[in-house]
Amino acid sequence: MTTIMDGLWDDFAKANETTDGYLLATTISPEAPASDPARLYNWPKWTNAYSLQTDLRYKLQYNPGLSLNKGEAGAWLDVFTAYYAFTGKLLAAEEAQNAGNHREADWNSVYESWKEVLSAVYRGYSSNVFEAWTIPCLYAVGKYLRIFAIKADDKAAATQRDSGLAFGGLQEEDAFSATSKNEKLEDAARQINRIFALCLGDRNPLEDSRKWALYYTANLLFKTYFRLNSIPLSKNILRSLRAGAADTPPLSAFPKAHQVTFNYYSGVLAFLEEDYATAESYLLSAYQLCNKDAKRNLEMILMYLIPTKLLTWHKLPTKELLQQSPKLDRLFTPFCMAIKRADLRAFNAALEAGEDEFVKRRVYLTLERGRDILLRNLWRKVFLAGGFETPKEGEAAMAPPVRKTRIPVREIAAALRLAGASEIDDGEGGVDGDEVECMVANTIYKNHMKGYIARDRGMVVLSKAGAFPGTGV
Amino acid sequence: MYPQPAYTAVAARQTLQRPTPAPAVEPPKAKKVSWSPGVRGYVQRAFDADNAMAGIETPEMQQRLKIVITQAAEAGQLETIDWTVYPLPQHLIQAERNAAALSSTHAAHIANLNNATSYLSNGAYSPERNNKRKNGDLGATAGEESELTPPWKKNNTNKGSLEDRMTGKSKKQDKKQKKNDAFRANNLGTDAHVLEKRKQRFGYTSPEPSPYPSSRNDSPERTGPLVGTCQKIEKSYFRLTAPPAPDTVRPLRILEQALSHIRTKWKNEHNYNYACDQLKSLRQDLTVQHIQNELTAKVYECHARIALEMKDLGEYNQCQTQLRALYKSGVPGRSEEFTAYRILYTVYTCNRTDMNNLLADLTQADKQKSGVQHALQVRSALASGNYHKFFRLYRDAPFMGPYLLDMIIQRERIAAMAAICRAYKPDVSLSFIAQELAFFGDGDSPELDASQQCLEFLCEHGGEAFIDRTVVDNVRFQTGKAIQAFQDQRAAAFRSVDIKGQI
Repeated sequence: MTTIMDGLWDDFAKANETTDGYLLATTISPEAPASDPARLYNWPKWTNAYSLQTDLRYKLQYNPGLSLNKGEAGAWLDVFTAYYAFTGKLLAAEEAQNAGNHREADWNSVYESWKEVLSAVYRGYSSNVFEAWTIPCLYAVGKYLRIFAIKADDKAAATQRDSGLAFGGLQEEDAFSATSKNEKLEDAARQINRIFALCLGDRNPLEDSRKWALYYTANLLFKTYFRLNSIPLSKNILRSLRAGAADTPPLSAFPKAHQVTFNYYSGVLAFLEEDYATAESYLLSAYQLCNKDAKRNLEMILMYLIPTKLLTWHKLPTKELLQQSPKLDRLFTPFCMAIKRADLRAFNAALEAGEDEFVKRRVYLTLERGRDILLRNLWRKVFLAGGFETPKEGEAAMAPPVRKTRIPVREIAAALRLAGASEIDDGEGGVDGDEVECMVANTIYKNHMKGYIARDRGMVVLSKAGAFPGTGV
Repeated sequence: MYPQPAYTAVAARQTLQRPTPAPAVEPPKAKKVSWSPGVRGYVQRAFDADNAMAGIETPEMQQRLKIVITQAAEAGQLETIDWTVYPLPQHLIQAERNAAALSSTHAAHIANLNNATSYLSNGAYSPERNNKRKNGDLGATAGEESELTPPWKKNNTNKGSLEDRMTGKSKKQDKKQKKNDAFRANNLGTDAHVLEKRKQRFGYTSPEPSPYPSSRNDSPERTGPLVGTCQKIEKSYFRLTAPPAPDTVRPLRILEQALSHIRTKWKNEHNYNYACDQLKSLRQDLTVQHIQNELTAKVYECHARIALEMKDLGEYNQCQTQLRALYKSGVPGRSEEFTAYRILYTVYTCNRTDMNNLLADLTQADKQKSGVQHALQVRSALASGNYHKFFRLYRDAPFMGPYLLDMIIQRERIAAMAAICRAYKPDVSLSFIAQELAFFGDGDSPELDASQQCLEFLCEHGGEAFIDRTVVDNVRFQTGKAIQAFQDQRAAAFRSVDIKGQI
């Protein structure tokens, strides 16, 4: 009878012996390991609610193979008791799901019971019973709490859809309050926050500290808050980390995986604040640290890095870079080509084609500013096409030829029309010169071009040296 | 029919006639000939138009009548009650309302919870009340009781009944309930002295549930949305701290009338305080009755428009939020108009997160509508700094867009000036600025007026020094020298965006 769970208890013993935290975490994972696929199903076979305590005690306390002290054994007893209850709920829900009875799958209680597991694990740490090497267990409980919360919320949303709307409280004169369709996820966020605080406040020396779980937990929180679309809460995490920085090892000391994820989220947060310089440094570090085979992660980083670099350096990604990922290729290649060629028509088309994704990722507004670069490129083309001044008589032939710096607004208007700028049409077949001037004025105002408009003469006068800073002209 | 306890209630018969059990859903009129003439007369009088009372609707009265007859039938008192003097259902209802109005709010709340609402709520619950009232028979004293009620019913205290066990009422509340029932049964609102006593009793109900939302759990009769009975067209707004009494809440029909009334008054008087107060009260009535239909949308739209006109952005934002939720849930309304407003509002608040979320929210269908397209064009023009286009769009803004745009036009004019000063050298004509920045005059000489307005604007923002009037017909503005002045102005203008306290 006891042989069916031997896999688990052997792992448990081995983990304790070799202080292998990750192995230990597998014993309380909701997913059975490859070596023991029936593990979850074996729990109810192995014991039942009546004899649970006795069986566990036998395995944990009175097990000659294990050498846990009383406190530890007690803590693990709590954990496995909660875990046993959890397996019951999980198996029931999965069964209902697989049988097609989505209504019956009670993910709510799966979430609640996993929360109990988390609480038990939390207690083990807060009472300083669990040693620091076991923190992968924290990773496991946190990670799955989030997953179950999402499942429970999805289920709640589905049932709510069927039954009607949620109403605001009585005290309000308005029917809709900010209803929580992410109730469980918000709760999960609170729980993970507790873990974060627990890790942050650990006074143990570094070799034995829970602080090593800090960045993993922070990343979990970022994921959760992003999903909840609450950016301010994410900023709190950054603030807390900065405040505790004196006692915490530097980010570079943490596992690479933690670093990459952390840099990514910090970068995105800075991006959303329009602090493109900071965003660039974070996203760049994430990109460089990231494993070259982690295609999806690289894609996600580039999604933000490309618009960032566009704004900070007016630099566009190379074709080779974009071709590494089909998604990025589809979204960005036409966009970048349009800017390079100063083709307004193509630019608008590319922006529209990718609009849904860009908006979803919140990069649309940033990419829009690519239009400024495009226009600058356009004026530059006109400038270059204008040719050179005829050298004055008597001037030394060695003097380098100077480009014409006076450009009629007419020429610029023509270029705009060629590029497909429909907005300058005045609706009567002509061109709205004032609109053209306005666009030029903006380029000057944004320092993309040096010069001025002489309205009375209908000319744009460019500076003789460096009219287009940063482009070599 | 209604749920029966484990035994069958049979009243002791006084006559040879069989009392037919009252059909729960048919109107009393449809009862069979077996009713005594007294009962029939009573019923007729109840339905008589002459006896109708203001504020009491026929269905309400019918319900009450049904209850009265049913109870009498159960207690076997159909023959014994003198129907000629027995108060009509509408009188009973009126008396209860008066009693409720007389007593303190606390007591009234309790009284209403127990009395009025139970009578007014759906019929499924009236039998429950009937069962409880077995102890308090209509118009009978304790002595008579023992004759009329079968012995096995006499000991049926409320504690034992299945309903009570199901509703989980506490013992104390049961007792109170019994006493209340007894009182009510004996004194159906006619005797002032009895009313006084009842008032007193309610005044001492300390272990009663407190008048906070949790009390709802203790009065199972009140399930489902409240249906109001108040008939007043005008009603001031008071913040609720407890479930409201139905006679303070206006039903749907009255609310419709109220809205048109407010609209007319607004058109004629333009009294914002009044309109706001009335509209908030309207909104409250809609919320407590869980009404979410076209009327709700109309109310919020009306309030939003009025708030816009008066530049009350806080109130406007509140209404806007509600409208968004309403449209999302499928309620029909002017979604094109208000989506456009939402976009313009977000442009005004410079809230990037909101803008991101808003853009993510827009559907393809939304983007096809011209009003929404206009607002989106405004957004994109301002995003790229295209002031020329923006001021064109300002002139063509649909619906009440101009009200919203008016709020940003000041800062956008400053921004445009900053760009113009940087780009144009050495100067530009005043008429150019006036035209670009959408100064249109009115009256006889619009151009002159526009120039005047433009000059005022420039002077207001520190540009006085750069105005060049040397040539009389061609006033010019020295852009080259004014660069810093307007740059500073622009920075200041965009630094603070006042959203009037509403997030």
